[in-house]
Amino acid sequence: MAKTILIVDDSESIRQLVSHILKSAGYDVIEGEDGKDALTKLAGQKIHLIICDVNMPNMDGIGFVKEIKKSDDYKFIPIIMLTTESQEKKKLQGQAAGAKAWVVKPFRPDQMLNAVSKLILP
Amino acid sequence: MSANPNQFLQTFIAEAHERLQEMEEILMHLENGPHDAGTIDSLFRAAHTVKGSAGMFRLDSIVSFAHIIEDVLGRMRDSEIEIEGDLVAVLLDSCDHMLHLVEVIAEQGEQLDDAALARENELRKRLKAYQTGNGDAQGTRVSLSAEKDIPLTASGGGEVSSDNWHISLRFAQSVLKEGLDPLYLIRYLSNIGEVISVTTLADAIPAAAEMNAETFYLGFEIDLKSSASKETISEVFEFAHQGSMIHIMPPHSKTTQYIELIRSLPEEEARLGELLVATGTLTQHELEDGLNAQQKSAQPGGTSKLLGEILIDQGSVTQEVVQAALEKQSQAKDTKTKESRFIRVQAGKLDELINLVGELVIAGAGANMLAHLSNNTPLQESTSVISRLVEEIRDSALKLRMVQIGETFNRFNRVVRDVGRELGKDIDLVITGAESELDKTLIEKIGDPLMHLVRNAIDHGIESADKRVALGKPEKGTLRLNAYHDSGSIAIEISDDGAGLNRDKILKKAREIGLIPAGAMPTDQEIYNLIFEAGFSTADTVTNLSGRGVGMDVVRRNIASLRGTVQLDSEPGIGTTVRIRLPLTLAIIDGFRVGVGKSSYVVPLDMVIECVELSEAERQAANERSYLNLRGEVLPFVLLRDHFEVAGANARRENVVVVQYAGKKAGLVVDELMGEFQTVIKPLGKIFSNLRGISGSTILGSGEVALILDVPSLVQQAVARESQQVLRKLPNNTATAR
Amino acid sequence: MPIRTKKRKGVSILHIEGDMTIGTAAALKEELMKHITQSSEREIDLSDVSEMDSAGMQLLMLAKREATRHNTPLRLIGHSRAVLEVMDTYNLAAYFGDPILISRGAKA
Repeated sequence: MAKTILIVDDSESIRQLVSHILKSAGYDVIEGEDGKDALTKLAGQKIHLIICDVNMPNMDGIGFVKEIKKSDDYKFIPIIMLTTESQEKKKLQGQAAGAKAWVVKPFRPDQMLNAVSKLILP
Repeated sequence: MSANPNQFLQTFIAEAHERLQEMEEILMHLENGPHDAGTIDSLFRAAHTVKGSAGMFRLDSIVSFAHIIEDVLGRMRDSEIEIEGDLVAVLLDSCDHMLHLVEVIAEQGEQLDDAALARENELRKRLKAYQTGNGDAQGTRVSLSAEKDIPLTASGGGEVSSDNWHISLRFAQSVLKEGLDPLYLIRYLSNIGEVISVTTLADAIPAAAEMNAETFYLGFEIDLKSSASKETISEVFEFAHQGSMIHIMPPHSKTTQYIELIRSLPEEEARLGELLVATGTLTQHELEDGLNAQQKSAQPGGTSKLLGEILIDQGSVTQEVVQAALEKQSQAKDTKTKESRFIRVQAGKLDELINLVGELVIAGAGANMLAHLSNNTPLQESTSVISRLVEEIRDSALKLRMVQIGETFNRFNRVVRDVGRELGKDIDLVITGAESELDKTLIEKIGDPLMHLVRNAIDHGIESADKRVALGKPEKGTLRLNAYHDSGSIAIEISDDGAGLNRDKILKKAREIGLIPAGAMPTDQEIYNLIFEAGFSTADTVTNLSGRGVGMDVVRRNIASLRGTVQLDSEPGIGTTVRIRLPLTLAIIDGFRVGVGKSSYVVPLDMVIECVELSEAERQAANERSYLNLRGEVLPFVLLRDHFEVAGANARRENVVVVQYAGKKAGLVVDELMGEFQTVIKPLGKIFSNLRGISGSTILGSGEVALILDVPSLVQQAVARESQQVLRKLPNNTATAR
Repeated sequence: MPIRTKKRKGVSILHIEGDMTIGTAAALKEELMKHITQSSEREIDLSDVSEMDSAGMQLLMLAKREATRHNTPLRLIGHSRAVLEVMDTYNLAAYFGDPILISRGAKA
C-alpha cells in the first residue's frame, strides 16, 4: 500500500516534476493547483504527506497550512514547504503555521526525496 | 511512468508564456488605471513562478534575469518604489525580453545572440535603478552557526576510543503533532552511515493517566559509523531542531564531553553512564576518567561549562518565528486571479482525436449508405442513431479545439500602445466580441495578418493628433477589434476612425500598373480592395512600419490559405474597416454533394442557399448573357462541367446550386444533387495547389475521392466573369444610348 | 471499535485492527487502558495493524509498562510488518521480550 503525497503548487511544471520524482520513488501522488483547490482534493482522501508551495493564488501556502492544522483529519500530516532562497521569512512563517519541513527551490530530485524520506517512507 | 524530461520542459514553456502574458496584461492595466495590492501581488507571483520553475530546469540565464524583475516587483509590492510610466515601460520591455529568453533558451536550446545580450544589459541597467542598493538585502538567513565547535578550554581527560559518532536525541514533545516522526529521522541515518546501535529510552513516558497519546516521550542514544561530516549528520535532524536537544559527538571526542552530555540529559546520570558503557560508546575506564577530569576542572571555576557539544540553541529562531507570524497577519491577503479550471492537453493528442473522429465520420457515412441500400429497417434506424451520436462527438471534439479570440485581441493593447507611442499618436483600442470562438490552429495563424492590419491602421489610417484636431475629430484616435459568428464562419473586423483610403490615388496607381483596363469604371468597393493586389502600396512615404513585414497581398494570401477572405470598406474622412472571414474550423465540414459526369464534388453546406432545376430554356439564355435569371435576380454562374473539363455530354437535366459567400451569390451548375453529408477535409497535395476552385478533398463512405469546392474563389470568378461580360457590353450600350 | 477481545484458555486476546498512528492514538489509548487495567493474563494480537508510527509504538510501550506494574503478563503476538519495522528501528524487541515469529528476512 503506497503512501499518498499531495503536491500543491500553482506551477504546473513543478507539479509535474515533483509528481514524477515521487511516483518514481513509489509514492502515490495527488496534485492541487493552490490552497483552495488542494483542500477540495483532500476531502475524503488518506494523505501521508503534503508538499506545498508558498506563493500561490486563491490561498497561499501559509493559509493552506493553517487550514490543514485546523482540520481534525489532517492536522498531524507532515508538511514540506517549497521555498526559495529569498524566502527565509516565508519559511519561518510556514514553520510557525505548522509546516516544519522545507525544501529550497531549485532542488534536485534526490534533495526532494531526501526531505520526503525524513518524514515518511513509501 | 515514462520519464520524458522534454515533456516537463514543454509544460514550463507553456506556463512561462502564460505568466508573462499575465504580467503584460497587469502592467498595461497598471499604467492605465487604479490598482490594488492584489494585482501587484499577482504580478510579483507571476515573475516568481517563472523564476522558480526555470530554476528547476537549470535555465540559469532565465533565473538570473527573472530574479532582477522579481526584485523590482517585490519593492513595488512593498511600496518602496512608485509605479510610474518609465517603470512600467522598462518592466514591459523586460517581459518581452523574458519571452525571448524562454523562446531562445528553453524552446530552442540556444544561447542569446549579441543583439539580445546587449538588450539584456541595457535592461539590467535600467532595472538597476529600481533595485535595492545591494540587490539581495532581504531575507534573514538562519544558519546552523550555533553548531560551531566551541574550542575546548577544559584540560584533562583523554579521548574516547570508539570510532563511532554518538548521537543523543531528545525531541520536542510536540514533534508528532507537527508531522515529524523521529522514527523516519532515525531510519534516515542509515542513508549516511551504519547504525551500530539504537537505545530507546521510555523513561519520560508518564503514568497512564497523564500520558498524552499524541505527545512524543522517547529519547534515543545512537551510535553511528559514518564518514559523513558533522554538518551532514546535523542536517538529518534539521526539521526537528526547534525545541529539541540534539547532541552529535564526533568519534574520539573527549571523555569530559561525554560527561557533560550525560549531565545535560534528563535521565539519571548513573543509568546513562551504564547505558553508554553497555552499548560500547564508552568503556568503563573512560567513563571514570571523564568523571574525574570533569570534577577537577569544575572546582576552580565554580560552575562547569558545556564543552564542545553541539547543542542547537533555538532561542533566537523562536523569536523570529513569532515575529514572522505577526508580520504575516498584517500582510495583505492574496486575491484570486482565475477561477476556471483547465486541463492542459498536448495539441498533438487533440489533433489525433480529431483525425480519428474524422475517420469515424467517414466510416459512419459508409455504414449509413450501406444501410440505406439494404432494405433492413432496423439496421437503418440503428445506423441513423449512430450517425447522430457521431455528429455529436464530432461537434464536441471540434469544440475542444475552439479558443476564444479575446486573448489574441488583448495582445494588441500592447501593440497599439507601443506603435502609437513610436508615431506620437494617442490611440484607444476598443475590443468587442472577445468571447467569439474559433479553431486554435486558425487563431495561431491569424495573428500575423491581424498584426499587419492593426499596424497599418495605426500607421496609415489614423491621423496625427494635430491633423485630427484640425479636422474637428477627437484628438484620440480609436481602433476597434471586433469578432462575431456569421453563418458558419467567423468575421473579424479591424476598424479605425482615420482618414480612410484615397480612392483616386488607388485608382490612378491601379491604372498605371495595369490592374484595371483603361475604360473600366469599377465601384468604390472594388477600388479599395485593389490594395490587396500584389505589389500595391499607396504609402507616400515609407515609414518604419509600412516598410516592415508583409504587404497587403500577403495578408490576403495568408487568409485565403485558411479558406478565408478579406474585404475592405472605407469612407473618406470617417475611417476604414477591414473584415476577415474565416471558417470556424479547418477539419470537418457539413458538405452538400453534387455530381458532374462521373465525379462527385462537395460544397460546404453553410454556403448553400438553395438548389433549383435548370430548365433547358434558361440554359440556352444563360449561355448568351452569362448570368442566370433567378426569379428576376441576376445570378452569375459557373458551369462546373466546363470549369473542371469533365468529359462526357451534358446530362439531360441539370441543376443549379445557389451559393453565397461574403454577401455575393453565384450559381454552380451541376448534373446531379446527391444530398448532405459530413465530411473530413484532407488537404490537397502540392501538385494540386494550382487547381482553381478546389480547396481540399475527402474520401466518401464508398471509398471514392470527392473534391471539395472552393466556393469563395468560384463565386469571385463567376462574379468577375459576369461583370467583365457586362463591361464588354458597356461601350456598345453606351454607344446605342447616345 | 478498533479492538476486539476474545478469551482463549483464560487468556484474553486483544485484537487491534487498522492504523496505530498519531491519528488514532488518542482513541486507541483510552480503549487499550480499559482492557489493561483488568487483571488477567493477556495477549495483544498485532497481525492486522496496517500502519504504525511512534505514537502507536509508545502506546504498546505504555501498555507493557502498565502490565508489568500490575504484575499481569502481557505478550505481543502476530506482529505485522508495520509493527516490526518500528520495533526494529527503535530496537525494542528486548523491551517487550516477546518471541517474534516472523524472521527479519521475511518481512520484506
